[in-house]
Amino acid sequence: MAKQKLTFEEALTQLETLAEKIEQGEIGLEESITKYEEGMALVKQCRDILNKAELRVQKIQQRADGGVETVKLPRKQEPDA
Amino acid sequence: MAREPFNPSLIKAPKREAAPAQSGHITVSAVTAMVKNAIDTALPSTVHVMGEISNFKRHSSGHLYLTLKDAASELSCVMWRSQAERLKFDPADGLQVIATGRVEVFERAGRYQLYIRKLEPRGVGSLELAFRQVCEKLEAEGLFEERHKKPLPEHPARVAIVTSPTGAAIADMLRTIQRRYPCVDVLVYPVAVQGDAAKSQIAAAIDSVNAHADQLGGVDLMIIGRGGGSIEDLWAFNEEVVARAIHASRIPIISAVGHEVDVTVADLVADVRAATPTAAAELAVPVRDDLIEGVAELALRCRRAVSSRMELNRTHFAGLTRRRALAEPLSAVYQREQTVDEVANRMQRSWSARLHDTRLRLDRLEAIVQRIAPHAQLMRTAVVIRDTEHRLQWAITRRLADVAGRTALARTRLDTAAPARRLPLLISKVGRARQTLVSATEHRMSLGVEHIGGLEQRLAAMGYKSILNRGFSITRTKRGKQVVRSTDQLADCQRLVTELADGTVESEVINLSQLELFE
Repeated sequence: MAKQKLTFEEALTQLETLAEKIEQGEIGLEESITKYEEGMALVKQCRDILNKAELRVQKIQQRADGGVETVKLPRKQEPDA
Repeated sequence: MAREPFNPSLIKAPKREAAPAQSGHITVSAVTAMVKNAIDTALPSTVHVMGEISNFKRHSSGHLYLTLKDAASELSCVMWRSQAERLKFDPADGLQVIATGRVEVFERAGRYQLYIRKLEPRGVGSLELAFRQVCEKLEAEGLFEERHKKPLPEHPARVAIVTSPTGAAIADMLRTIQRRYPCVDVLVYPVAVQGDAAKSQIAAAIDSVNAHADQLGGVDLMIIGRGGGSIEDLWAFNEEVVARAIHASRIPIISAVGHEVDVTVADLVADVRAATPTAAAELAVPVRDDLIEGVAELALRCRRAVSSRMELNRTHFAGLTRRRALAEPLSAVYQREQTVDEVANRMQRSWSARLHDTRLRLDRLEAIVQRIAPHAQLMRTAVVIRDTEHRLQWAITRRLADVAGRTALARTRLDTAAPARRLPLLISKVGRARQTLVSATEHRMSLGVEHIGGLEQRLAAMGYKSILNRGFSITRTKRGKQVVRSTDQLADCQRLVTELADGTVESEVINLSQLELFE
């Protein structure tokens, strides 16, 4: 089965590959059903990623030691236009 | 050789009183002072000189030395570092310029010079020229070439935006991203986007995001830019240092500076140029709804492919089941069963006979086999052993009982012969002897007593018998043999025995009467 930490890109690519494989009919029925189930898991992952409704905005700050850190940017501080 | 920078305060003003010599000769200093005075008086403090640059030299100190010339003459010029630093373009020989400054005398060299405060190219603006110059330089190095352009990720998970945190640009970008693709993470790197610090801050931000991309969780795309403004406001994005930072970035960069008409060096070096910040945001992220649709489409494709596949199999299967063999799969079996039944019937009799024979033979064989069988042999051996064991046990028991009996007998005899046993025997013998003795004596005595008694009885009897002979009788109660002496002893019907001299009479009391003494 697909792992949990796929990026949307990876999940989508895998899903496309799966769809093609199933459509081409070169794999057996049982395998195609297995692939279908994998595909549905990937569909769910893609949807989970896409369904994040609120934009997450953070601010990058340069630290004194040369590193960086991120600070959550509260929505109210975002400039309105 | 470096020339001393001119500093008027260091120059001692010539003393006018001392200048004219009495002999009509004047000193070099005096001439120079007079020239200086003349120039100062005659020329305005600021002049705008038009000419072509030649003999251009940038000294390591940062001061610029050049000559302005036209067809007829030349003018020596100096531009101090403090002013030279503000130049956007690089002065070069052959460049037509307008130099603004003041003409002064460099007394030590006896030369007048134009001290340039401001240098501008003729015909084009200095910024425009500067822009062209940077472009030419970077183009020559190949920084704008198409092969350096990195493709933008189709579905970025994290986008870094290097811009002013307070401008309209960031607001436009965030709004656009939120609308199109809210599932992305945005990292805002706040920088100054105009002013002297802007170029170094922007360049440093680009370098920093690249250097710390992993720490930031992976950055797929960067947007650098700002909203609209004058060419001076946008200038930082024309700076070479910014261009080089963009070129060096591993992360794809969208440049979005100002409005559509504004094209900066950053735009040319960046992987993609966006006309405006909003356009940059649109280029950066896809439309989520399209993707959701795309994913649904893919899901549908999978589902259709599988279900058509299953339908195909189902049809095939249905076709197979319509064939006779599969439709009635057992008919062939039933037919054969019938045949079997018939054959079986025919064979039944001979079979049972043979079966019987075979059984008998089997039984025999079984018996043989059982005898031969090691298990049976073992069993038999075991039985023999058990039997032997029993017999042995029996013999031993009997032997033991025998010995025990004889031992008991011997012990009895021994006991009998034992002195301890004989003593009570002897004692009892003595006792018995004594008893015999005692009883013999007693017997003798009783015999004597009896004899005496007999004699006595005979004497007595002879006494009352003689009375009986004389006609008296003795009446006794039959029960108790008491001599009846009084009627008090008698009752009606009582039986009495009356002894007479020659025999006895048995009688019954019929009437009892007492003598009335006092009648």
